[in-house]
Formats: sequence, C-alpha cells, structure tokens
Amino acid sequence: MTLQILLNLVIGMVWMLLHDEWNMLTFTIGFLIGSIFIFALRRFFPGPFYGLKIWSIIKLLILFNVELVKSSLIVIGQITRPKLNIQPGIFKLETKLKSDWEIIMLTNLLALTPGSAVLEIAPQEGVMYIHAMDMAEFRHSIAKTKDLFEEAIIEVMR
Amino acid sequence: MNVNAIIEILIAVMVLAGTVLSLLSSLGFIRLPDVYTRAHAATKSVTLGILFILLGTFLYFWFVHGLISIRLLLGIVFVFLTAPVAGHLIIRSAYRSGVKLSDTSVKDELREDLKKATQLEKYHSREG
Amino acid sequence: MLNNLMLLSMFLLSVSIVISLYRVIRGPSMPDRILALDSIGYSVIGIVAVLCILLDTHAYLETILLIGILAFLSTIALCKFIERGVVIERERDH
Repeated sequence: MTLQILLNLVIGMVWMLLHDEWNMLTFTIGFLIGSIFIFALRRFFPGPFYGLKIWSIIKLLILFNVELVKSSLIVIGQITRPKLNIQPGIFKLETKLKSDWEIIMLTNLLALTPGSAVLEIAPQEGVMYIHAMDMAEFRHSIAKTKDLFEEAIIEVMR
Repeated sequence: MNVNAIIEILIAVMVLAGTVLSLLSSLGFIRLPDVYTRAHAATKSVTLGILFILLGTFLYFWFVHGLISIRLLLGIVFVFLTAPVAGHLIIRSAYRSGVKLSDTSVKDELREDLKKATQLEKYHSREG
Repeated sequence: MLNNLMLLSMFLLSVSIVISLYRVIRGPSMPDRILALDSIGYSVIGIVAVLCILLDTHAYLETILLIGILAFLSTIALCKFIERGVVIERERDH
C-alpha cells in the first residue's frame, strides 16, 4: 500500500515536471490521473488498491460524525428536561481489538457516542470500563455501537 | 435574495447553533449531579459546539475573502482529537483519586472487579 | 445584521464562561474544577473565532491553535498531578 501511494506521488511530480507548471492544481491533476492508472493496473500490485482503504476511512469518519451529532442531541435533551431522572453507572465491555492504536481509536469514538465515556482500560485482558449516563436506556445501544465501530476500525487498520 | 445574503445567513446559523450548544452544555455543569455525568456534557456538546463555530468561521473566510485557512482546519482536527482524550483523562483521574459517584448511580462493576483484584496486585508488587 | 448576531453570540459564550466559573469556584472536587477550566478554554476558542468574523481579519486565527494546545496540555498536566503526583512518567504502565 505504501508503494502505491509513493508511486502515485511520483506520477504527480512527473506530471508537474512535464507541464513545467509548479502549482498545486497541476499536481492534483497528475495525482488523479496517476490514481486512475494505478486503479487500472491494480492486478499487478501485491496488495489491494489503496483507494479502498481511503474509502473505509471516509466511512468511519461519517459514522463518527453521525454518532457525535446524535449523542449531543441526547445529552442536551437530558439536560434541558425539567426534572432530571438519570441513573448513571459503570459497566464492563469486552473488546477484541489488540494493538494500541486500535484501542485508542475505539476509545476516542466511544467517548463521543451517546451516553458513554470510557473510564478505565485494561488492554491485556481486553476489557473496558464504561460510564453510562443512563444505564437502563443506553447499555444495549452502547454495546451495539461498539460492535459497529470495531468492524469499521478493523476494516481500516488491517 | 442574492448569494451573499444566503451565505451570511448560513454562517450566522452555524455560529449561533454552536453558541447555543456550548451554552446548554455549560448549563449541564450546574444541573448534573457528579463529575462523571458532567464530563458527558463537557466532551460531547462542547466539542460539537466548537466544531460548528469553527466551521462557520471557515466558511466565512472562504466565501467572503476567498481564503482557505489551513489553520482553522488544523484547529478543527485538533479539537476533534483532543476533547475526548481530555474527558477520558479527567474521569479516570477522578475515579483514581476517589471521587464518589452520585447517589442515583445504580451499578459500579469496576469497584467489584477491583475488590477481587486487590490481593493479586499486592502479590505482584511484592514480586517485582 | 451579521455584526449584531456575532455580538449576541459573543455575549452568550461569555455567559457560558461565567457559568463554568461558578463550577470552578464552587466545585466540590478537583476534577470538577479541571473540567470547568477545560470547557472555559473551549469557550475562549469560540470567542476568538467569532471575534475574527466581527473584526473581519484573519490575524487572530493562530490564537485558536495556541489556546487549544494550552488548554489541552494544562488539562493533562493537572489530571496527571491529581492522579499520582507525577506529571511526566518515565515508564509506561499497564
């Protein structure tokens, strides 16, 4: 994958050299043309086409933003309710992610999902302790979103 | 109604939406019962509010001055990355320094697990 | 019209800073105060951005990055401090 990106950058540079125009626009055009060539020749590279990885990163970002907006609305709804009736609590979730970066990403994503904030991580056991704003309401939805995020992160990282 | 007016309205709506979000979440600081629930208000709504304000500013400089400000984009990415980390660190340090959960809390699985593990931890510290 | 709306938004952000200041002074525990200081930092970022629109200049945009970095670093340093009294760890713990 690194080879493909490097090759694409080199194609952009060569395009800029051939045109003798040193600006960003020419480089971008060269880069796009290079990515089309690499996509056409993807059978001859060892790994899969790197655009697929970029597409999965974009999908993860979209998921992240949607969850952020949803969770902010839920928190605002809880705050502006005239009488607070929330039952916060701490519960345990198991994760199948292993490496440091994956766990960092999952923590960041979970911190911005509805009603959950990661309290403590034990990476060796693969366990996270999560503080939920309302146990009865969010416990199952948090577990569901965690599975969603895990799949998206695995798609990006591996 | 020309294009500029529409863009101005869009910018004003985005900035005001961000402002209202951060105002409401600071209202949450008063109403919510303990640190952990306040951290929810701080990490989520404040982040979204600041994102809206910075995006509005970015659009303003893009459409009015024709300037794509990399600094603002960097600021957006930075806030996006650091706010959850700061929230996580605050509630972790609160738990480790022994701040109590509010009375309405229903469950604390971390405390149960820690009770089970205390003896193990002492054992490890003696070994090492 | 845009100017008046920006002034209104700056006023509302200042109100949210005052509310957070109440939590800084009153806060029953140290993490409460750190949390409120953190959110004051974010409100100041918002005020600087709105000020840039109001004064129609992009001279203050660096300040946004600076305040963001300072707020984040001070939050982390204070958290580390109340956690165990050491700000910079030499070894990673698990």
